[in-house]
Amino acid sequence: MKRWIVIAVVIAAAALLPLALDARGYWIRVLTFTLLFATMAQAWNIIGGLANQTSLGHAAFFGIGAYTSTILLLKLGLSPWIGMLAGGVLGGIAALIIAIPTMRLQGHYFALATLAFGEVMRVIANVWTPLTGGPGGLSVPFMPPSFAGYSFKLLLPHAYIALVALIIVTAIFEAIRRGAMGYRLRAIKENPEAAEVIGIDTTKVKLQATVISGVLMAMLGTLYAQVAVFFDPDTVFSAAAISIRIALIAILGGVGTAVGPILGAFFIIPLEELMNDLLSSRAAGLSQLVFGVILIAVILWQPRGFITVFDSLRARLSGRAPS
Amino acid sequence: MAFLQAVIDGLLVGGVYAVISIGLTLVYGVMGIVNFAQAEFLMIGMFVAWFAWAFLGLDPVLAAPLSFAVAFGIGWLVQGQLIARVLKAPSVAQIFLTVGLLIVIENGSLLLFGSQFRSVTTSYQTISLSLGPLFISVPYLIAFAMSLACGVVLWWFMRASWFGRAMRATAQNPMAAQLMGIDTALMYKIAFALGVGLTAFGGAVILPYVTVFPGVGGQFVVLMFTVVVLGGLGSVAGAVVGGLAVGVIQALSSLVFPIQLQNLVLFLVFILVLAVRPQGLVGASR
Amino acid sequence: MSRKSSNSAGLSRRTLLAGTASLLATPLVLSPARAQAKPINIGVIMPLSGANAQFGINSRNGIELVADEINAAGGIKALGGAKINLVVADATSTPTTAGTVAQRLITQNDVTAILGAFASSLTIAISEVTERRDIPLLTMSFADQITGRGYKNIFQVVAKASAIGKAQLDYTSAIAQASGAKIEKIAIMYEDTAYGTAQAGGLRAGAKAANIEIVMDDAYPLGITDTTPLINKLRASGAQAVFPVSYLNDSLLLIRTMRQQRITIPAIGGAAGYVIPDFEKGLGEFAENVLSIAPANYDLAPDLTERFRKRYGYFMVHEALEHAVALDVLVQAIEKAKSAKAEDVAAALRGAKFTGGWTKAMTGGAVEFDQTGLNILSIPVMVQWRNKELVTVWPKDVAKGTAVWKS
Repeated sequence: MKRWIVIAVVIAAAALLPLALDARGYWIRVLTFTLLFATMAQAWNIIGGLANQTSLGHAAFFGIGAYTSTILLLKLGLSPWIGMLAGGVLGGIAALIIAIPTMRLQGHYFALATLAFGEVMRVIANVWTPLTGGPGGLSVPFMPPSFAGYSFKLLLPHAYIALVALIIVTAIFEAIRRGAMGYRLRAIKENPEAAEVIGIDTTKVKLQATVISGVLMAMLGTLYAQVAVFFDPDTVFSAAAISIRIALIAILGGVGTAVGPILGAFFIIPLEELMNDLLSSRAAGLSQLVFGVILIAVILWQPRGFITVFDSLRARLSGRAPS
Repeated sequence: MAFLQAVIDGLLVGGVYAVISIGLTLVYGVMGIVNFAQAEFLMIGMFVAWFAWAFLGLDPVLAAPLSFAVAFGIGWLVQGQLIARVLKAPSVAQIFLTVGLLIVIENGSLLLFGSQFRSVTTSYQTISLSLGPLFISVPYLIAFAMSLACGVVLWWFMRASWFGRAMRATAQNPMAAQLMGIDTALMYKIAFALGVGLTAFGGAVILPYVTVFPGVGGQFVVLMFTVVVLGGLGSVAGAVVGGLAVGVIQALSSLVFPIQLQNLVLFLVFILVLAVRPQGLVGASR
Repeated sequence: MSRKSSNSAGLSRRTLLAGTASLLATPLVLSPARAQAKPINIGVIMPLSGANAQFGINSRNGIELVADEINAAGGIKALGGAKINLVVADATSTPTTAGTVAQRLITQNDVTAILGAFASSLTIAISEVTERRDIPLLTMSFADQITGRGYKNIFQVVAKASAIGKAQLDYTSAIAQASGAKIEKIAIMYEDTAYGTAQAGGLRAGAKAANIEIVMDDAYPLGITDTTPLINKLRASGAQAVFPVSYLNDSLLLIRTMRQQRITIPAIGGAAGYVIPDFEKGLGEFAENVLSIAPANYDLAPDLTERFRKRYGYFMVHEALEHAVALDVLVQAIEKAKSAKAEDVAAALRGAKFTGGWTKAMTGGAVEFDQTGLNILSIPVMVQWRNKELVTVWPKDVAKGTAVWKS
């Protein structure tokens, strides 16, 4: 019961936060991207955390979503909301396509195979110019403001959409984690052979988790496209800026937990911005260097993620052993 | 004829891919760590060789051992101070520590060396040997020969020297190795330092035909990982097979498909190979 | 009791984050009010890390040179001698980040205008922000899209990519003809980036218009490490001239591999890697007489551009020159508008012509923006490497040297 109160209060505070910021300004944009990346990391968390499959190719789904809704908007004038659903479907199909050859792969092999898949999508987007605009990228056309058309004059609605997305995806994550699928995924994580023996269809479960993760990730691509307005293959299919970053966010925060991706995003994104703000004018590369140093320091300090700080705090206060 | 030329080019280039990537697979084999910062040591090796050329007049190929030594030293320190601390942590933490390392090394060199593109001019850069209608690029040939020499030395080291055998023992079973009196912490230091040193060696060797700048590692990262995983993570023979395979696949694909799709073909082959043989071409199931 | 504590532990962290965010949202007071006129903030967003760092730094240098000159000469006269304050920031290599940086400069630094960002994708992302906030953006990026969207706040000081590509071809035909050669078959090789693809499009259009056969037309991935397949294809194609569009690493690779295979047909580069000092340093004697198209060149106004060489130690590369011109034009617009307000300055820039100062370094000796924001006076020039310098050799009326054509 108390847990629900905490969650409600947090959500209320989070809902009020955007209003405290300049609606056309910089911090609301940072907040929007932070929420978006937290949501992306949460979608990743479903297979990266619950299924323990470190995917480094989630950008493949993301880019598919971004391109689908934008292409449909440009060519057919279709509302990005509908485009988002279409993107979700394609993302799910892509998840199936990736899952099949990578089903048997372990740990690092899986990570690198998914990385390769992400790169495959990037090259396709780069080469298929008539459809995707090629390396020149696509701009979401300037539309008159309307909710149905997913077009707004201010950044504020984007922030709220991102917040709602975060809540929904986190809810899905929690539902999976606590439910039958989560139980089966944990069993597979612990001991795949034993799981098979007790009757879990490991292939089916992993496939389901991958598809859910892929569908959500693709839908988030649309949200990103609408905020960023312009993107190219290197932006949305990027291994470094998308795939690796969301894995990093989830892991720094605490992989496999609902709060982890949120903590991770609220740490990393504002930190990068701060570094850029304070240091990038002084010397080329300085802001990135300091960011890298901080990253290393944080991992050395908390290899299991910020969530461990939480857990030990909570445990110490309640006298229980950390979970 | 075009086919033969492509195969030759692919093998020559592939040999170099192999030597660059052997270090990566060695580190994984002994320590179980996927070092995302490996390509940054390639860049370090290239810079060392460039400075040796600019200030000492050394041909980069001759400066390769120097690159090896410098990277070995840096790797030794990095392993001891950073990597060693996360050996017991979840593997994802280790991976992302190396990602942080990548960012630090790349931007550190941007600050130290500046953003200019530096290349060397050597006497043999624009020469190639003619074998009938075939061209064999001399810089590639020399790079290939050096890679071969390096590979042979490494093979001897791993097989015949005490250190090599101790490292292999640590890779197979750290606990047993420790019980046998092997200082596993030292072995890890040597393995990591050796691994990054080898990649740096490769960097010096390719300097005659690749321009160095702080971000050059990024051009090779995905390639190196493809080579290593294709061959089988942890297997030195796998890195060699993987390297040659990648070189030949790239070269042959340009005969049939547009050159722009070179990497697409490579990645698709990569995914297919893994689908059929999840442990890589040469790798044994770990 | 334990539950309450855990709630407060969870809650306080959130509030702390919220509080910190609001605190940081408060406009920062940068410096105490000055006795004289308030400085004008001008945003400079360039890639200062990643693969384009070199070009970003060159661009920033060009801007700083002009800013210091103007400040030393008494600042902006129409605003009481107000000094220019450059607010420099790293665009990084991600367009979305460049957009966020632009937003930051607009909101936190109250910039009058922004100069940036060398790479077209970064510039387009920034323009999405500046257009919506009515802040003028001046650039030398030349992707056709930049001036093709009907935006009112974008000002491009050089010709479009398709025009540059077409000029690359047309000038080559003219130069060959002047030497008595006729070109009928050409090869095009380009990086599959926005820049390479756009220029290749221009080359194709030029070839088609001149009835020249394209016997090889290949894109290659950025970061290619082995160009032998391209050169093998070139050799087999029978082309009389090759038009590579690439950055530095591939440009060196291509020229060297061509030499290895004893291919001596003329190579006409597509700017970027072909017109920076590192090109000559990398190739030595083999750089001699390589031709390249360029949006502008430093030998058109040596009295201005030699100041750059004096201060920074290398010749004024075209991106530095173009950004210098952009800043000069911007300052002239501020003087004309007698205001530091973005809308006023944008209005002063729109459809206007600017002469004098650094605009003399551009072809046409002036800058004139049409309604789409394109400088219609800028035409590309063909340059040739001569003794470690870039000499403008075409069109004849601006050439500083005669083109050498070796076929």
